[in-house]
Amino acid sequence: MLVTYGQQRKVRTDVPQLGVHTRLTDEVEPWKIQKTLQLVREMGSSWIVEFFPWAYYAAEDGSYAWDHPDLVVNHAHAQGLQIVARLGLTPEWARPPDTPLTYLDASAYDDFARYAAAFVARYRDRVNYIIIGNEPNLSYEWGYRQTTAADYVNLLRTIYPAVKSANPDVIVLAGALAPNLEPPGSEWAHNDLTYLRAMYGAGAAAYFDALAVHAYGLTFPPNSPPAPDRLNFRRVELVRQVMVEEDDATTPIFITETGWNDHPRWTKAVRSGQRIQYTLDAVRYADENWPYVRMMALWVFRLPAPTRSYMDYYTLVTPEFVNKPIYHALQTYTGNNPSAETE
Amino acid sequence: MKRRVLFTTVALLLVAGWAAACGTEPSTWDRIANSGVLRVGLDPTYPPFETAEGGPLRGFDVDLMQSIGNHLDLDIAFVYFGYDGLYDALATGQVDVLASALVIAPERTRDFAYTQSYFDAGERLVSRAANPVTSPDEVAPGPLAVELGATGHVVATGWERQFPGLEVEPYETAKLAMDAVASGAARVALVDGVTALLGAAGVKDYYIGPQPITEEPYALVVRSEDRELLAQLDEALAHLDATQQLDLLRGRWLAP
Repeated sequence: MLVTYGQQRKVRTDVPQLGVHTRLTDEVEPWKIQKTLQLVREMGSSWIVEFFPWAYYAAEDGSYAWDHPDLVVNHAHAQGLQIVARLGLTPEWARPPDTPLTYLDASAYDDFARYAAAFVARYRDRVNYIIIGNEPNLSYEWGYRQTTAADYVNLLRTIYPAVKSANPDVIVLAGALAPNLEPPGSEWAHNDLTYLRAMYGAGAAAYFDALAVHAYGLTFPPNSPPAPDRLNFRRVELVRQVMVEEDDATTPIFITETGWNDHPRWTKAVRSGQRIQYTLDAVRYADENWPYVRMMALWVFRLPAPTRSYMDYYTLVTPEFVNKPIYHALQTYTGNNPSAETE
Repeated sequence: MKRRVLFTTVALLLVAGWAAACGTEPSTWDRIANSGVLRVGLDPTYPPFETAEGGPLRGFDVDLMQSIGNHLDLDIAFVYFGYDGLYDALATGQVDVLASALVIAPERTRDFAYTQSYFDAGERLVSRAANPVTSPDEVAPGPLAVELGATGHVVATGWERQFPGLEVEPYETAKLAMDAVASGAARVALVDGVTALLGAAGVKDYYIGPQPITEEPYALVVRSEDRELLAQLDEALAHLDATQQLDLLRGRWLAP
């Protein structure tokens, strides 16, 4: 099937900071990529966060397979969407044998920087924001090793000048840290707030332009007050407090994953009606109270296939492209008429 | 324990010795059969299938595994995990089987295998016994009560185009959607199978559609390489089905 990019579209929205995290990395068919991004635009979301794995596209000989990222970037651009590109996952050739995809040794930082630089150069004017890695304060995301903020800052120190050299206009996002309450010395994770302080202590401020933050509401309503021993939506305010205390108040925050889950049996989920209300209230709360938040992306717009698990209950659209009621609620909230959604 | 500790220990040593001599590990089923213990992973937060709140562990899945244990002459050792960690617990060998109202996921069958389904929690039509609705093409015209935002709401929204005159009416909970049927505010509701059966239990006025509208088949899960264990579990489930013990369990926990 021939799928063209079509005419240039523009997002119409009353909530310009609203975004969604898409999952097109494993979406093969071009029409599904286009359909997904069309639905994003029609919902009134101006932004997408999407994953562009280094391991998928970069060969050891320095060549790149850009076919799939070209599809995603060009279709998103044609729909008028801003792209926040998450870069990560280490190719087999760049890591020791029998290590996981998330294992990134310091000896491979330069290789990763070459990929990141090639990416931002290729997609100049279409991708203006990149995130370096994902949740580096989790041992799982750091190749099942103990994580240290200094290691991650060294990665930023390597990547930042490389991508700025390739595209001086690109905005580099650090993080996003995984909110967690693990005790000091945990083998699984480093507390997000202390990790962020440690990042600043290691000199991170000079090597990122914005901070990516994950802000899940879990079972708490969006107005639930923040506390260091609580994981909720307003934990963003504690992150912001660290930034201010570290003399970094001018650096904006991008919430690259947020939302509620309505799985019938997961203990961290809420009822479907609550999920809709909490999501709308959260978007409103961020708009009214967080001038430092440039964008907030809901996890996750749609999955390519069902997982038959709680992950399916984070989505706004089913794998079969059926829009859920939460999609329609957001569409109405952004000032888009649901009856005009199909073209 | 059904088996004497000495017997179990000797048997384990024999198996271990045989495995060492052959240079192979005993299969999961051999280990289970020789130890006499089947380790079952579950998340006890989902009544009526499994809960430990305010009392001992109990529920449909608990009784089901005890019945399977009786049939296979095994003791059942339940191990608790969070719902989002169940598959990891199985993959890493912390348990032999998962019994926790898990839906068959074809996408996972490279690593895991599922038994035959023992319950389908898919969406069900609920109507008044005096005016029963058995299939989707009978829902229109008129109001159809659903839980706001839930799977039934998604399905019903699709029906609006298919069945002219259908009016989808969302309620805050599935229970309230069923109450709307009881009060006459709606002729029919579309809610998840567990809520439908529990809500209709002991209430003669309700009629539950005979077939689920969507599929949510619950099954036991093992690692894909444990084919012998899978076969034993399937044989046990078939036995429980043939002897109406499965029906008794469904009646006990879903139509109390």
